[in-house]
Amino acid sequence: MPSFSTELLVIGAGATGLGIAWDACLRGIKVVVVDQSNIAQGTSGRYHGLLHSGGRYAITDPVSAQECASENTILRRIIPHAIEDTGGLYLALRTDPADYAHEWLLACQKIGIDLEPRSLDQVRRREPALTKAISQAFQVNAASLDSFDLLNSLSHSIRKAGGQVLLHQRVNEFIIENNTVVAAELVSELDQTTMHIGAEIFINAAGPWSDQVAALAGVNIPLTHSKGTMIAMANRLTHTIIHRCRPHSNGDVIVPAGSVMIIGTTDIPVASANDLSIQQSEIDFLMDQGEELIPGFAKTRPLRAWAGIRPIYNSRQYGINATREYSRSHVLIDHGETDGISGLASIFGGKLTTFRLMAQRVVDFVSRELQIDDECCTATVPIEPEKKEFIVLSNRTTRLLSSEKDISDSVICECENVRQSEIESYIQSSPHFELDNLRCTTRLGMGPCQSAFCSVRATEIAFSSHESEDLLADLASFIDRRWRGTSHLAWGQSMRQMALSRRLYFELLDIQQVSGDGS
Amino acid sequence: MTDILIIGAGLSGLFASILAAKVNADVTLVSAGHGGLSISHGCIDVWSKATPSRSFSRIRKKHPYRIAGKRALDIAIAAFEEITHDASYPFSGSLSRQLFIPTAIGALHCTALAPYSLAHSEITNTTPIAIGSIAGLRDCFPEMLVRNLRANGYAVERSIPLSLPGSEPCRDLYSTDLAYRFDDSSFREQIAQLWKPRLSGIHCLGLPAVLGLRQPHQVFQSFQELLGIKLFEIPTPPPSLPGLRLEKVLFNTAIHFGVNIILGSSATGLIDRSQKLKRVSGIKLHAANSSRHLKARNVILATGGFLHGGLIARRDGSIHESVFNLPLDYSENRPALLAPSIFDEQPYEKHGVRVNSQMQPLDLKGDPVYENLFAAGGIIAGADRQSEGSRQGIDLATAQRAVEAALE
Repeated sequence: MPSFSTELLVIGAGATGLGIAWDACLRGIKVVVVDQSNIAQGTSGRYHGLLHSGGRYAITDPVSAQECASENTILRRIIPHAIEDTGGLYLALRTDPADYAHEWLLACQKIGIDLEPRSLDQVRRREPALTKAISQAFQVNAASLDSFDLLNSLSHSIRKAGGQVLLHQRVNEFIIENNTVVAAELVSELDQTTMHIGAEIFINAAGPWSDQVAALAGVNIPLTHSKGTMIAMANRLTHTIIHRCRPHSNGDVIVPAGSVMIIGTTDIPVASANDLSIQQSEIDFLMDQGEELIPGFAKTRPLRAWAGIRPIYNSRQYGINATREYSRSHVLIDHGETDGISGLASIFGGKLTTFRLMAQRVVDFVSRELQIDDECCTATVPIEPEKKEFIVLSNRTTRLLSSEKDISDSVICECENVRQSEIESYIQSSPHFELDNLRCTTRLGMGPCQSAFCSVRATEIAFSSHESEDLLADLASFIDRRWRGTSHLAWGQSMRQMALSRRLYFELLDIQQVSGDGS
Repeated sequence: MTDILIIGAGLSGLFASILAAKVNADVTLVSAGHGGLSISHGCIDVWSKATPSRSFSRIRKKHPYRIAGKRALDIAIAAFEEITHDASYPFSGSLSRQLFIPTAIGALHCTALAPYSLAHSEITNTTPIAIGSIAGLRDCFPEMLVRNLRANGYAVERSIPLSLPGSEPCRDLYSTDLAYRFDDSSFREQIAQLWKPRLSGIHCLGLPAVLGLRQPHQVFQSFQELLGIKLFEIPTPPPSLPGLRLEKVLFNTAIHFGVNIILGSSATGLIDRSQKLKRVSGIKLHAANSSRHLKARNVILATGGFLHGGLIARRDGSIHESVFNLPLDYSENRPALLAPSIFDEQPYEKHGVRVNSQMQPLDLKGDPVYENLFAAGGIIAGADRQSEGSRQGIDLATAQRAVEAALE
């Protein structure tokens, strides 16, 4: 069994885990990140894309609000390419509780959140599609943050700085000696091979799966899982993020992101991290909320619905004071102090907006344990994009129309303008071809056709170089996942799109014959 | 006032219009957009599970085939073969055996009739073949094609990358771009010269279906002669030439027999309330910024299912027939239209209007809704066309019955 050791092993390649590894790299700590599947397959990859202004938590959680506000400024500086500066509006409708807006305004001012009142005229000029039933409006500096882009850039930067990101490696067992975790046994999800990685400190950043990871060390974490459902609409009806200025509730935010617009979310307790099934009532609710803000919303085409799981830590259940509860938003537990198992700590909660701050606190803790003095510098060092020009649709289109375009470089995904060269460069940089990972890296298949045309083309491109892999099974499972994401949206144009995809796959290509049915 | 008004320009609508016009009826065909042929493989699937002739009696009673009857299917297939033969676009195959056509990824598609170039009779799985791929054409998949065809027992020797002449700047190629070029004989000669040296030792070559659109059979034969080897074509994803060719053949035939064609206009049904009997009087046609009435003695509804707009699903879970708001064959409150996996059988496939043996849409009691309204093709309920492999057979048989009934 291969084995090696490092200083820090991080479990979970979401924003938190990768953020920790990046921070550690910058402080010269030897770090390895492992994930049971791929980058952005958990909560980070299933979020609505909102870079918070802080306004959302001004009343209920001022500490979080302040953290969001300052992290917002920092992220704009260090990862500008993943952020679209849409700005945000808080809107109180005439039907909303009358005093709330005033109370909220005072709370924001007290914390120091940047905001400006906007006249209804100004709002209408900026966003003509919005309802006329607005009573008050405030501009905040929220933005749209592409988490795929953020996570890919983090992973790229970590690797470049000497850290390792090992994917499809599930922690199977912790090796514990004298009440100290000394190594982890990992099993490859691809070929079931195992390996050992020894480390001085293990950080459990597995998000909704962190209770399962902790359980491997015999530690119980009182984690509850809350499911939030979102819908991406095929059109951007506003160019500004729209929040409802009302007590925190479901369906209160619309985020324009790339060529689409996302409405979220719901909040439903579920039993486990894998319980991502969507109820039709959630879809109905979100569509109705959208219609309330933007008349005609429900008549436009929904593209896709998905759910993410918020891991919520319940400190009261835990009953031990030794936890470092920085705010209600995120928690770091040193299992040496709380459970007598040294060398392992768990971090969870928080928001994507505050991932850097959480990472900083975790690595401060790690540094103390490792007796390293280096200060955190993630607030000032930019995170390099993996690719500078591609990701944004408008950049891609500009490039396509420019004279530099290489005529042999076909557009493989017409919805998102993903070219053959991008897919080839993904293939070169990935030991293992996976359409869903290609999607997260390039946005292939995320547009209106939901991969009906491009998935087969992309598979063909990978076919010669990844001969040994079962690419047809991967294709089948990919188109099935795309289908599942639209199966609650069976009306209007989206219903027609689904019927079209199925017609192409099963009557023109007969995929079912060669793919082993995707199961 | 027209004798027969047909709504929909897919296979069933076009075929019905030709059948009616051939016996000198006054026929008008209207359509909101392109029909389904542009996204089809251009073959006639009748029944993929076994040969249709043998299994017909075992099909459920409420299935469109049983309602239309075996006789209608036989007559329709013969009429279809005659139409395509007369248009110099011959089909191979018959109802008594199954044809297997390689798809773009090398699966084998089971069908009854296929255009000559797809179902080249001399190609069997013992014929040594090569697969040609064309540089720049995204929708041909030589790697997958070769691997899967071999797995299906074909004697594929190798794949040969072929390029286009010159270095002229081009946009990304679709199959239609190439088909237009292949219609031109000088382009074919140029290509033949370029490709011939690369094809030495090859006896039989499979190419993506790009060999011409306007006179495809002639293009195919002449290109085969130029290369001096046997060719066969493999349908690509849309734009799919075999489907487009069939569409063109049917449109031209319809025009030849005097069908009055109105494209780009959607329709709302008009009901005749002046008489005791329940009848339709025609449709209101909606074009850009205007609408007008079109009167008809008989109307054939060939608007297709969900994909083509004949059926509309709403957000509240209800489904509707788009022209006459006919009662539909589903009764539960909010039945799921979709099953969770794309590989599952999908409930939406079976929805539609229920018809009697005259192809008249029925109300929930089982009586005809309107005595002069008939249905054909994908709008008719009761068949899972995808898993049965029965789509085009149902289109033809029900169109045949609908025209017979409308002309009675």
